[in-house]
Formats: sequence, C-alpha cells, structure tokens
Amino acid sequence: MRASSPHRANLLGLAFMTPAMVLLLGFFFLPVVLTSVFAFTNMSTATGISGGSYVVTGNLLRSLTDEGLDAKTIDALGQSNYVIDQAGLERARAAGVDAKFVAEIAERLKDRSFTSSSAFERELKTLPSRPTRVRDLKIAAGAFEQSVLNVRYASRGEMEAALSHMLENPPEGAIERIATASYTGWTWTTDNFKNLAIAPDTWRIVGNTVFYVVLTLAFNVAVGLFLAITTFYLPPAGSGFFSVLWLLPRITPVVLYAVMWKWFTWEDGFVFNIAQDLGLPAFNYMKGSVASAWTVVILVNGFVGASFGMILFSGALKAIPVQQLWASEVDGASRWQQIRYIILPQMRWPILFVTSYQTLSLLSSYEQIWLTTNGGPGSTTTIWALEAFKTALNNYTGNLQYGLGAAMALVLVAVGLVLSIVYLRLFRFDEMMSKPKIEF
Amino acid sequence: MQISIRNFTKTFDATTVIDDMNLTIRDGEMLALLGPSGCGKSTTLFTISGIHRMDKGQLMFGDRDVSGLPSQKRNVGVVFQNYALYPHMNVFENIAFPLTVRKDAKADIDREVRAIAALTHISELLERRPGQLSGGQQQRVALARALVRKPDVLLLDEPLANLDAKLRLEMRSEIRRIQLETGITAVLVTHDQVEAMSMCDRIAIMKKGEIVQIDTPADMYSNPRTSFVAGFLGNPPISFLSGIAMENAFSVAPIKLRVPLVPQEGIADGTQLKLGVRPEHFGPEGDIAVEGRIAFAETQGRENLYDVALADGSVLRSIQPAGRNWALGDTVRWHIDSKSVFVFTDDGQRL
Ligand SMILES: Nc1ncnc2c1ncn2[C@@H]1O[C@H](COP(=O)(O)OP(=O)(O)OP(=O)(O)O)[C@@H](O)[C@H]1O
Ligand SMILES: [Mg+2]
Repeated sequence: MRASSPHRANLLGLAFMTPAMVLLLGFFFLPVVLTSVFAFTNMSTATGISGGSYVVTGNLLRSLTDEGLDAKTIDALGQSNYVIDQAGLERARAAGVDAKFVAEIAERLKDRSFTSSSAFERELKTLPSRPTRVRDLKIAAGAFEQSVLNVRYASRGEMEAALSHMLENPPEGAIERIATASYTGWTWTTDNFKNLAIAPDTWRIVGNTVFYVVLTLAFNVAVGLFLAITTFYLPPAGSGFFSVLWLLPRITPVVLYAVMWKWFTWEDGFVFNIAQDLGLPAFNYMKGSVASAWTVVILVNGFVGASFGMILFSGALKAIPVQQLWASEVDGASRWQQIRYIILPQMRWPILFVTSYQTLSLLSSYEQIWLTTNGGPGSTTTIWALEAFKTALNNYTGNLQYGLGAAMALVLVAVGLVLSIVYLRLFRFDEMMSKPKIEF
Repeated sequence: MQISIRNFTKTFDATTVIDDMNLTIRDGEMLALLGPSGCGKSTTLFTISGIHRMDKGQLMFGDRDVSGLPSQKRNVGVVFQNYALYPHMNVFENIAFPLTVRKDAKADIDREVRAIAALTHISELLERRPGQLSGGQQQRVALARALVRKPDVLLLDEPLANLDAKLRLEMRSEIRRIQLETGITAVLVTHDQVEAMSMCDRIAIMKKGEIVQIDTPADMYSNPRTSFVAGFLGNPPISFLSGIAMENAFSVAPIKLRVPLVPQEGIADGTQLKLGVRPEHFGPEGDIAVEGRIAFAETQGRENLYDVALADGSVLRSIQPAGRNWALGDTVRWHIDSKSVFVFTDDGQRL
C-alpha cells in the first residue's frame, strides 16, 4: 500500500495536468513554433509562402553588381545571343518564316552564333531567299535569340544549364551564386536577426518600447491601486458607481475608445478648445508633438490597464479579513500605516499578477497606438510590436516581410519569457505556491 | 483604569442591538461579558475599543471621556475572536506592530517584544509565520500583541473558542495569570459560563443587548435575579417546575408537591410561579419528598446524572456521586432541598 501510493499519485497528477498541457501546446507552443519557423525565412509578399522559380531580372543584375560580381559576367547575362540550333530552327518555322529561307539558314549557318542582332541580321541578308521586308527579317532573327534575362526556369538545374550556355568561361562559382540569387521563392536564413541587430532603427524602437512599457505599467499599477484603495474606503454606494466608471475604458470597444481619444485630443477637440480658451498652445495633441503624443499613448493604454488592475486589486482587498484592519487600528496604525503595512504587503500576489500580465500584454499590444498616433509623429511613438505588425502585415510599400516580422515577434516572445522568469524570482513565486494545499 | 459605559445605544442599519446600556468595570478587574450568541457582546467590546462608534451614550476611561476618540488613540489591546494575526508578518513582527507604528526605537521594540514573548511562553516561535502555528500558539501571539504596548484596557473576544479542551484549560489560567501580573483592566467576552466563572472577578450576563445581572461568579450562581440567569449558569443546568402559590407555598397539585415560600410571604393564592431546582439540590437527601421514575441516566465518571420524570410529566435533574447507581426505569422517592431552591414569577423575576 505504502509503496504503491506515490506511483498512483503521479499518475493522478498527470491526469489532472493533461488539459493544461493540451491547452499550453495548442495556444502557446504551436504559435511560438510557427513564429520561430517563419523567423528563419526571408518570406515576403515577393517570395510568396509556397515555392518559387528562378529568374534573372534587371534588379538582380544591379544587386549582383553591388555585391561585386565581375562586370564581364554581368554584361554577358544582360546580352542576347543568336544561336543557330535545332530549337531555333523550329521556333522560326513555327513563327511562319519562309520554309526555304529556314532551310538555307540551316544549311549555311548551322551551329554558328552571333553576339549581336546587327551581325546576325547582316549575315542573314547575304542569303539568297531572304525576305524583302525588314520586319520579316527581324522576325526570323528573333527566333534564334537566346537570353536568360526575365526568363522563368522551374528548377535550379535548368537555370544553371541556361547560365552555362550563356557565359563563356564564367569565374569560379559564379553560376551557383547567380542561380541562388535568382531564386524568387523563400529560403531559410538567419539574416532577419543579423539585420535587426545592425539596423540603427532597432535600438530606437527598443528604447521606445521600454519607455512605453515602463511608464504605462507604472500608471496601471499605481492608478489601479489608488482606485482600488480609495473605493475600498468609500461607502458601498459610491464605490459601486466609481467601479463601473473606471471600467468603461476596459469594456468600450478598442476602435470606439480610440475614436473618443481622437475627439478629445485632435484639432478642435476638447483639450484643444480648453487650451485655446486658457491661452495655452493649442494643437493636435495626439500627433502634434513628441511629448504630447507619448502622453496620449500612455494615458490611452494606461486607463485600460488601470481599470483591469483596479478590479483585481479590489477583489484582493475584499479578501483581507476585516478583523485584521480593526486589529491594526486598535494597534495604533494610522490609515496610511494600515495601507503601508497591512494592505500593500498582502497585495503582493495581485500586484505581481497585474505587473507580469500587463508587461506581457503591453509588450505585444499595438492596437491602441496603431489607432491613435500610429507610431507618430515620425516614428517617435513606434514600439516593437507595432513595427513588427507593420513589417509583417500592414505597410505602405506593399511588400510585407513575413520573415522579418516573425523574427521581431520571436524576439518579443523571448523577452516575454525572460521577463516572466525574472518576475517569478523577484516576487518569490515559489514561496507563495510552495506546496499544493490539498495532498493526494 | 476604570471603564464606565453610560446610556450606550448601538444601532446597525435599522435594528437596535444595544439599548441604553450602563456598565462599570472596576480598575484592575477582569469582567466577563457572558451571554448567548448574538446578544451584543462583541458589539459592546468593539465599542469600548473604538472600532464601533456609539450612537448614543458616553464611554469613560477613568475620568477621561473617550467617546469621540478613534481606536488608535484609546490605548486598548484587543484579542479578536479569530486572532486576526497579520499573515505576512512573522510572530516577532506581529507582536512588534503596535510599537513599530508608534515608531519606537529598534532596541526598545526588540526588548519589549522579547519580554512579552517570555511572559506568554512563545519565545521560541518568534521567527514563524502565523500560518505555521497551532491555534493555542496563535492565541498567545494575539495576546502578546495586545499586551505589548502596555494598554490601559485589555479586551478579549472569545479568545478560547477555537481551542481544544485541554488547551482551553491551560490558557484560561495563563490569561488570568498574565492579567493579574500586569494588573490590567480586562473584559472577557465569552458564551462559556465555566470560562467566565473560573477566570473573572465579576460576570455581566447579557441578554438581547441588555445586562440582566452583574455579580461575582459565586453570587451569580447562588443568587440569580432572574430565571434566565439561573438557567444560564450551572452545568448540568437548573430545572424548572411550574406551579401556583397556595397558602404561602409553591404548589403543584397533581403531584401533591408543596414547597413553603419561607422568606416571601403574602403572595396571592393562585399566582403562577416557577420553581428552580439545581441538580445538586435534588436527590436521596433533602426535606421535601417527590416521587418519580428515572427517565435518563448518564455516567460522567466521578458523578452520575439523572433525569427524574414526575407523575405530571415534568422533569427534575439530579447529579449524584458515583457509587450508588440507579438504572433507567427505577422508581425513586427523592427529596428537594427546600432551602436552596429559587422561586420565580411567571415572567422570570426572582421572588
Ligand atoms: N455590522 C453589523 N451590521 C448589522 N448587524 C450587526 C453587525 N454586527 C453585529 N450585528 C448584529 O448585532 C447583534 C449582536 O452581534 P454581536 O456580534 O455583538 O454578537 P455576540 O454577542 O458577539 O455573538 P457571538 O457570541 O455569536 O459572537 C447580532 O444580532 C448581529 O446580527
Ligand atoms: Mg462575538
């Protein structure tokens, strides 16, 4: 009996854990895994998310030049060749060129090649059955034209064959390099992270994000606590009214809430008019200056989180037995000492919860900023999540960089995980949750 | 310090819980507030401590009127019904709390806390959290916290209610010892009469927000002023017989019982009366014979407890030393000790 019970306990424990594990897998690990996969690709609107083909484009030639491919090779890639081969002859026949003329070309010029259209056409003009019209001559010449430029090859092999056909004595490795670069589909890469690490914008956005999260969080917790404690000491009738009032930012739909803030802060809005009447500078507070834009962003998000904090803190406050508060008063504690020594220490767990939950949701939230300042003026209020969102899903140039966006999101996930661990340490989570209260 | 409550009225919402109460607690005495659940004991205690405000009346500590003073300024120590220790502080911090908020010097706090911890026998528990203590240990921590700043008044709200029988016995004498040692004026709220009788100098019995009698335990027991008091004190409880006055005697005609009303003459014949007989005053010895049948018998070790059903259906309780045992159903002819009975009018007033 004794020996078997720990085993049974483990199994039972496992059974209890299963739903939690399934949910964790479905809602946490799966998105994270997908994000991680995307983060290591260069997927974008241009590459698509399925496979691609091999094309040498003018743009590619330019970027290859920038990357130092020798000019001769680039030139050759850009050139057209005229090769008299079987395929060319068939193309000419199909294009309706006079059969006799084609036969003559086959007989006299077979297997020769020309590097320019003028040389080839000059040669054609020497043939007896040449067409009289220049246009027909050009059609015949065109049938033998060979170029890799803007030709789509389905496989790498075909692209490499075409390249080696085009290039005489290409430099070592050049064909492989061009073929790789010409791929239009997505590939695996770690460039997203390298680019993020070196881009100067990255650090500005990181700075913005830290500034935004820290200030909004401080506002959330401080105002949430303040509201909870004041309503706690208020008579019940008043506290009910205030609770509902402070809940409004939370329960108003995001878009409506953002629109209200716009009315409030835009030109000819509420604040604008008041400032004007008072002789203060009146402008579009939402986008008009960096300081006012940040204030708006922090208040918009702050009030949503503050009401959330207030609900949690109010619940926790009501759970403190009233005798403890009586005892502290009888012990001589002033109202402030009661808050400082009795109430706040017992709010540690809800404060931890609000802080960690809000840090994570603020880190990953962009909707309110997107709908209000949209990261402006300039990109002064652009935070990481908004930038990731714009990079991956919503930007003006139209080239959505899924891979880079996913890489940015993955950075957020990593930061979130690290922060969670730090928070748990900081608030000595293990002490609070040391043992299950009910033993199996 | 003497505490006097004058014309105290307390109303919650619309219900008046205490109506025009007067009570004086002498300097250095320990007074028990005894009464059934919901009679207003805690309310009275919380009013003395300042947690509740009086709707009407006056509260005096010595000759200082403290009615308007907040609890922070009254210098009272309270032990709450459920101890109300601060769960996030260890025992030392709990006890030190009244001194900490007063901003005493660290060294002083340390000395005072250790002294009071020694007095309450919890010196070795100072590092623990309340959650790691037994009920009795928590109770002593609460007591230490109430005593540490040398309050003028100690208020105890059913401090022993949550303890087991043995611990309760121990703590009873412990609290009394500390109260006597410190000479503090104390009020003990309880609904356990044994607790009240064994610990306190005087007992105030409350009923529905009123104090019905205030006396020493012995006087209260031997000289109850109402049938409620007589019924509340004593274990096993007193039993009552209904009858009428007839020729200067309490009489129950159907069983031919006649108990002379010696000191109280001149009661109109036919007046409805109640006779209270304590179990120790009914048994084989006595002067007025009553016949009945043993309807219930219980052995309590040293003593046996019997219910004797009389011919008219009423029941008298009796407690007898073990040794001579009667069995259920035995017919007995026992006696009432007529000098020790109490006679009450029908509405409960003692004659
Ligand atoms: N805050 C309150 N609001 C309304 N009624 C209350 C309040 N506190 C107490 N009462 C009522 O006042 C009466 C006396 O309560 P109190 O707590 O003083 O009883 P008690 O004698 O201490 O009882 P117990 O022995 O059960 O602790 C009860 O009827 C109770 O319902
Ligand atoms: Mg009570």
